[in-house]
Amino acid sequence: MTSPEDAVERVVREEFPRILATLVRVTGDVGLAEDSVQEAVVRALTTWPRDGVPDEPRAWLTTVARRCAVDRIRREAHRDGKEAEAVWLLDSDPEPPPDSVVRDDLLRLVFTCCHPTLSPEAQVALSLRTLCGLTTAEVARALLVPEATAAKRLTRAKQKIAAAHIPYRVPSDAELPDRLAGVLATVYLVFNEGYAPSSGDAAVRQDLVDEAIRLGRLLLDLMPDEPGVIGLLALMLLLDCRRAARVAPDGSAVRLADQVRHRWDPAEARQGVALVAEGVRRTPERADPYVVQAAIAGCHALAPSYAETDWDAVIAWYDVLLGVRDSPSARLGRASAVAERDGAAAGLAEVDDIAGLEHHAWWHGARAELLHRLGRDDEAGIERAAAERLGLNAGALASLDSSLAAPPR
Amino acid sequence: MPQYAALIWNADLEPSDPAFAEMMPGYNAFGHEAEAVIRGGAALYHNATATTVRVTGGKGGEVVTTDGPYADTKEALTGFYLIEAADLDEAVGWAAKIPAAWDGGCIEVRPIIEFPG
Repeated sequence: MTSPEDAVERVVREEFPRILATLVRVTGDVGLAEDSVQEAVVRALTTWPRDGVPDEPRAWLTTVARRCAVDRIRREAHRDGKEAEAVWLLDSDPEPPPDSVVRDDLLRLVFTCCHPTLSPEAQVALSLRTLCGLTTAEVARALLVPEATAAKRLTRAKQKIAAAHIPYRVPSDAELPDRLAGVLATVYLVFNEGYAPSSGDAAVRQDLVDEAIRLGRLLLDLMPDEPGVIGLLALMLLLDCRRAARVAPDGSAVRLADQVRHRWDPAEARQGVALVAEGVRRTPERADPYVVQAAIAGCHALAPSYAETDWDAVIAWYDVLLGVRDSPSARLGRASAVAERDGAAAGLAEVDDIAGLEHHAWWHGARAELLHRLGRDDEAGIERAAAERLGLNAGALASLDSSLAAPPR
Repeated sequence: MPQYAALIWNADLEPSDPAFAEMMPGYNAFGHEAEAVIRGGAALYHNATATTVRVTGGKGGEVVTTDGPYADTKEALTGFYLIEAADLDEAVGWAAKIPAAWDGGCIEVRPIIEFPG
């Protein structure tokens, strides 16, 4: 038997974004909508334990939040000495909106929170607050910033949405590809900050990974036909399925080659692979970068062991990826796969061909490892030092050190 | 309908500079195209003509002027349009048609505060 407090928490966690999205449409103001939903949640916490959880908690919260919004607008109008024009809020559309309307509201909110005129930091903070339903304190913990900083970032973003009239709508078909790419980039940013944190000491920040996957599932629910959405969720699931094998008991990262694969989550891997297949099926003309990256992760998920990886397939997918989205990190990934298939010397030659990465810690880390495998330990040591100097994170450095200490494979 | 200031940050040219004249047709074309949404605006003389004014010791105090613009940046505030648009997307769309946006400068879009009454 769950307590009413737990029920409130669960409903709020699951329904907050949908209730908020409805309130944003009704009030036209993200800040007012958020304050009103928050007030409704507080009332639920006092009345549900006494009267029991209502049959339709979302409808209850939506109705109460709407009344709170009307009260707030009336108070504001009264303070300004003007007649309230808020009555229409009560009269119009008094029934809780049907699911299809809520879905559209939520989709609009996604595009507002990830609007390209907001900074990536603001998009991430807003998405965690409004789309994941995290409190400001939880957003602060997720971003490793003081609560006051998170609150300020959220307030400024909401002020800009209101003052500059950032639209609350789904972009037109012509704009959609670009805008969707921005939404996906924001979700992937949240994922990466959890999967390979750029700050802090943890090798993985599972809370952020979980939020990113929640966002990915939400996007798939809202846009089930978009290959990028399918591909991004597939990619996140296929990387996250290694969760239990990725971090050693001492907290250091375990490299893919050394991970104990029976500890990978088979259900998550299966789901990811199925999504890859779906994504590939939907992109016969032009590959989608997320689908392709997921396909590479899928090759690993399907291999019984590192030694049995189908490196031909991995390299072929990297070639597809370089065709649609060339990047130094994709080239480095291809070079590592070449090192496995054709030997460390061939891999090193490819790593050395990637221009412009001298300032990236992971480029030096990759060189250190390949040089060690070729028995060139003096040079490997110099590269290891460069990687550390350039800020390779503690977990990755520890795993590099353990492979440099081991006999060359 | 919301209004936005589209502030033009660009190379600081004197009006006698041949480049200034070369620039004009582009702005005239924009003026025509955006006629229905332009609510005001001005082109400004170059930074060297600017005077920055401060008053010390409260209202009515000593007027202190400095020669030059408040912010001495590489690019200068060379003009602005006041534009009416339904939302920021539309305002950005208009800003992207102002020549400075691709001519080595940029446009800063700022929403206008609407005071009641």
